[in-house]
Amino acid sequence: MAALGTARCLFRSFSRVKDVQRGKKTLLRCGVRTFCSETNDAKPRFRDPAVQDILGRITGLDLQKVFRPIKQELKPPTYKLMTDEQLQQAVELAKEEARKQLQMPPVLPERKPIDDVLVVDKILDGMDTAKYVFTDITYNIPHRERFIVVREPDGTLRKANWEERDRLVQVYFPRQGRKLTPHLLFKEENLKTVFSQDRHEDVLDLCLVQFDPDSSDYIRVHEATYEDLEKNGKYDLLRSTRHFGGMAWYLLNARRVDGLIVDMLRRELLQDAISLVSLFHMVHPHSQSAQEAASQQASGTDLLKIYAQNESQKSGYIELALQAYEEKGAEGSAA
Amino acid sequence: MVHLSSFLLKKYHSGYVVIRLAMAGHKQANRPFYRIVAAYNKRSRDGKYIEQLGTFDPLPNIYNEKLVSFNFDRIKYWIGCGAHPTKPVAKLLGLSGFFPLHPMTVTEAERRRAQAKLAETTAGTEDSQEEENRAGV
Repeated sequence: MAALGTARCLFRSFSRVKDVQRGKKTLLRCGVRTFCSETNDAKPRFRDPAVQDILGRITGLDLQKVFRPIKQELKPPTYKLMTDEQLQQAVELAKEEARKQLQMPPVLPERKPIDDVLVVDKILDGMDTAKYVFTDITYNIPHRERFIVVREPDGTLRKANWEERDRLVQVYFPRQGRKLTPHLLFKEENLKTVFSQDRHEDVLDLCLVQFDPDSSDYIRVHEATYEDLEKNGKYDLLRSTRHFGGMAWYLLNARRVDGLIVDMLRRELLQDAISLVSLFHMVHPHSQSAQEAASQQASGTDLLKIYAQNESQKSGYIELALQAYEEKGAEGSAA
Repeated sequence: MVHLSSFLLKKYHSGYVVIRLAMAGHKQANRPFYRIVAAYNKRSRDGKYIEQLGTFDPLPNIYNEKLVSFNFDRIKYWIGCGAHPTKPVAKLLGLSGFFPLHPMTVTEAERRRAQAKLAETTAGTEDSQEEENRAGV
């Protein structure tokens, strides 16, 4: 009970941090440098333009949800008198802004632990009771290439591991919204409480601010969120946010897209469902449905039918929904 | 000591430049915090310095670490301009691996080990004496 109370007042105290460019910066910092060597990969990666295009389309662009009121500095509202053309231009500008805000954070594999010993000085054994941590403060080097070394009391000089690095970089180059010790929200029990309150988006925003995209904590929190969403079928919470693409990618790689397709059909987003199935075929080219689709050169609702027959567990529901959609289409054309 | 900074720097100053620790003086008793600073020799310890090159926190934090930061790029520049580091700064740079190890660090470590061994042996003899007394009684 006490934990529930503390968890509630803890996560009510934060405010949603809007930082559009962070995704791009972290991508440039970790993604490009580490992955520029792998060019000829048969399996499509998260960052491929085709994949990003499809994921962007299924994310949707609900302006009302993207620009809903968030905790901000209080300003009196401004009123403008506009013609219809000006209004249209303003809406276009808003769409551009929304597209920038919906930029997907990068999906990277987990980083390998650092355990590099530089020197072992046995003569320094017992020189002090505490460790000395040396950080290089030079301004122009990226944080990934900074020298952070630790001299242990027994004389070994080793490179600092990832948790120490994150903490010290935050000490000397503090980033807005990031804390030295991670928020208590990221513990398992507190995560469950938040999920029961349907605040998955807030958790993911906090996680993006606090951790690096390839740290184990980030991957753990994201996986827990996606699992919970998939278990309860609450995909609509993330639709039109920047995390939808990541969730879709995770489900694709785990081959559990049925729930998502069912949800899309229920909300009559047929195009999204078709693009999702085509993305599935791109990611798993050796699966049965992908080979059938390639042999038949299928497109549109045929893709969905092939997928429903071969891969999905909820094939009955998908076929029913397809039939209902076709009937509606027939009625509409008849009337 | 060869003092070259008056020849290598653009502005003439009769003293020389040192890299030393200056207490950061947050007006809190019993809580020292040092800045690693390039300053002229004759200036007061906490007075006007030329440039700050880092920090040193002598009290360990909750993870039992003493945090030291160095701006190695600028330290290289000032050493190139003929600045001399003081003994504690040289020790810290030696511990970090930027300089070779300072001999006093090694001596201090040896002294501490000798102290620890002495404390162990005296504790050992005291224990054995106590046992004898208890056995005797």
